[in-house]
Amino acid sequence: MCTGRMDPATVVKALKKGLDGLMVLGCYFGDCHYISGNYQAKAKIDMTRRLLKHLGVNEERVSFQQLSSGEGARYVELVTNYAKVIRDIGPIGGEGDNLKAPEIFKKLETAEAVLAGEKIRWVIGKRTPFLESGNMYGEIFTEHEFNRAIDMIIVEETETQEILGRLKEQAQSVKDLAGALTIPAQRVFRYITALKRKDMIKLEKVSGRTPVYQIVSQEV
Amino acid sequence: MEDKKVLIVGGGIDGVRVALEKADTGARVTIVEKFPTLGAERIPRDRLIKPDEAFVNLDLDSVRNNPDIEVLTYSDIKKVIREEDGRVRTHILKHSLHVDNSKCNDCKACIRVCPVNMFDDFNEGFGFRTAVDFFNSGTGEYNIFKEDMPVCQDACPIHLDIRKYVGLIADGKYKESLAKIREKLPLPGSIGRVCPHPCETACNRQFLDEPISICFLKRYVADVEINNEIEPAYETPDKKYPEKIAIIGAGPSGLTCAYDLARMGYEHIKIHEALPVPGGFLWVGIPEYRLPKELLKREVDLIAGMGVEILYDTRIGKDISFEDLQTENDAVFIGAGCHSGLKLNVPGEDDYEGIVDCVTFLREQALGIRDKGTNKLIVIGGGNAAIDSARVGWRMGFDDVYILYRRTKKEMPANPWEIDAAEHEGVIIQYLAAPIEILGENGKVTGMKCIKMELGEPDASGRRRPMPIEGSEYVIDAQTIVPALSQAADMSFLPEGHEYKISRWNTFEIDEETCQTNIPGVFAGGDIVSGPDIAIRAVAGGKNAAVGIHEYLRSK
Repeated sequence: MCTGRMDPATVVKALKKGLDGLMVLGCYFGDCHYISGNYQAKAKIDMTRRLLKHLGVNEERVSFQQLSSGEGARYVELVTNYAKVIRDIGPIGGEGDNLKAPEIFKKLETAEAVLAGEKIRWVIGKRTPFLESGNMYGEIFTEHEFNRAIDMIIVEETETQEILGRLKEQAQSVKDLAGALTIPAQRVFRYITALKRKDMIKLEKVSGRTPVYQIVSQEV
Repeated sequence: MEDKKVLIVGGGIDGVRVALEKADTGARVTIVEKFPTLGAERIPRDRLIKPDEAFVNLDLDSVRNNPDIEVLTYSDIKKVIREEDGRVRTHILKHSLHVDNSKCNDCKACIRVCPVNMFDDFNEGFGFRTAVDFFNSGTGEYNIFKEDMPVCQDACPIHLDIRKYVGLIADGKYKESLAKIREKLPLPGSIGRVCPHPCETACNRQFLDEPISICFLKRYVADVEINNEIEPAYETPDKKYPEKIAIIGAGPSGLTCAYDLARMGYEHIKIHEALPVPGGFLWVGIPEYRLPKELLKREVDLIAGMGVEILYDTRIGKDISFEDLQTENDAVFIGAGCHSGLKLNVPGEDDYEGIVDCVTFLREQALGIRDKGTNKLIVIGGGNAAIDSARVGWRMGFDDVYILYRRTKKEMPANPWEIDAAEHEGVIIQYLAAPIEILGENGKVTGMKCIKMELGEPDASGRRRPMPIEGSEYVIDAQTIVPALSQAADMSFLPEGHEYKISRWNTFEIDEETCQTNIPGVFAGGDIVSGPDIAIRAVAGGKNAAVGIHEYLRSK
């Protein structure tokens, strides 16, 4: 089993269950049996940390460290240090996080939906080719640009997933969604048109003069 | 009506209707539409003028199935040529859709994961689409939209990959950034100091706060290399070409042309430079305080290190004839620049000693011939050359330095930061003043008679035309007068009775695509083609010519 195979959604799932910290221990760069597994793991954990920071969860709750199987002393050192870090931060949803319980668990649910979504998986999977061999047009991106794109996608995907989460409960209008999520109505409308374009939601009815949208169940 | 061909621009409602009508009369019809599908944009309801436009159901199938109608969607008209017999020819660029719509089953998986958002043209920018998306939900044709280069790169004459190198600096990868710049520009340190940066004028960031300092970032990475004492080597490919190429002028265009050709694999490149120093105007026109000579020398040495031979003190037409150059070499590039200053055309100009045009003034100062100044200096003009001359004069020790400009500070073509620096140093700038006569005694200049001006109506260049105020003449005492009006090319190196096409601005007329003059094998670029212009455009001229020379030699 390789750290590169680890799904970021499971990491957040652990936090959602009440875990206070999670350390991922991978091989050193260059030592990977599968050539680039640890690079993938690093990219995924970095992205997860960015998402957690955006949501108001202390990013130190997820950490990526490297060691080889023969380094017992380093293992002890890493675990001791990390345990100390987590002890300083305190339990999840407490002093160490910007968000407090129980909202933090609601947010982590959104985070899980984001990380389990198609978009962010595709983009993070393309990280290595984009930075090294380039896209279809031969354009190679800088790390800086890629991270900026990831940050933008994180914001968009969290807001989209929040809207979808609300719509899953019941059909709602743009105005209702904007009020419940504290996102400006204009932005909500933009997400709604985008989701409609992707066949993920549809118009349920027009009550009075306000259109009400409902979710389209997706076949797997 | 036989043999009649009709081109319809725009595949909207009216375009399709007219196409069907024309096809019925027996004409061959071509529809050109800039969007990826027929039917044009969706018209917002509040913009409807005629009610019958509201929901027109276009008969698109009958258009597609009509053998007389050819549909070119996602196409732009690039050029319209009117023939002498009244017919019209057009050049049309058809973009690729990048999606095979016969295989697409509209599952929408692509648009769900696409990370690139952009305005949806079909809905008049009302919402967003992703880079891969259907254009019109009615016809359902998918395409991938690829934007052209960023605005800064588009504004740069050599289309330097600014997005990339600034991004690499943001990542802290200075070495990679400099290597990226050097893919296109051999003089990053020099251009990073002197360029008036059209890229920053175009930068989108200015609408938020201020543009990215693209130019100084380039200077920064070049300086990092010098400060860390890294000695780079410019590499040339293993595959060499045997042709001989002569380049006239070691200025920005000549050096870049040599650099590009050497990188293509040409071994025998000789640069003929009339002056004892390289760099052309970068050395003899731009003062030391703006561009240190040592730095320029280093960048030229790097180009010379690629096997490019630079022959100094070799003036074409004097030390070696132009015909010899042409017969001895397979291709000749002329990048001689504009090295003669224009005259004032006022009485007394040719009668007294002490009047020297700005090009000569700056050159002599740069070469150390004229290194001291006494008494008073007047510089006439408002461009960067005038400010340079004045600031150089101030450094040479003139007691008082004046700049005379006939309009106001707002209209001055020099860079505003240069004007401020000159004023800060103590140069006296007199706006709204123009020379009318040079005064002198015993063959030497003693002063200049000037007249005050006022601004009238805007002229052809959009600037307000200065008008003299009657009876406002006054005299400034001066021992040296430097007219810095403009520069012109010196064509005296060409043999007498030559057959080159010279424009009325005394510059070479070249083929825009190949940079070749009307004589095969002779190419030109830089100021000698464009007239006096900024350094980076001269670099662009050299680069284009290098491509033209390569194509010319390889197709022989």
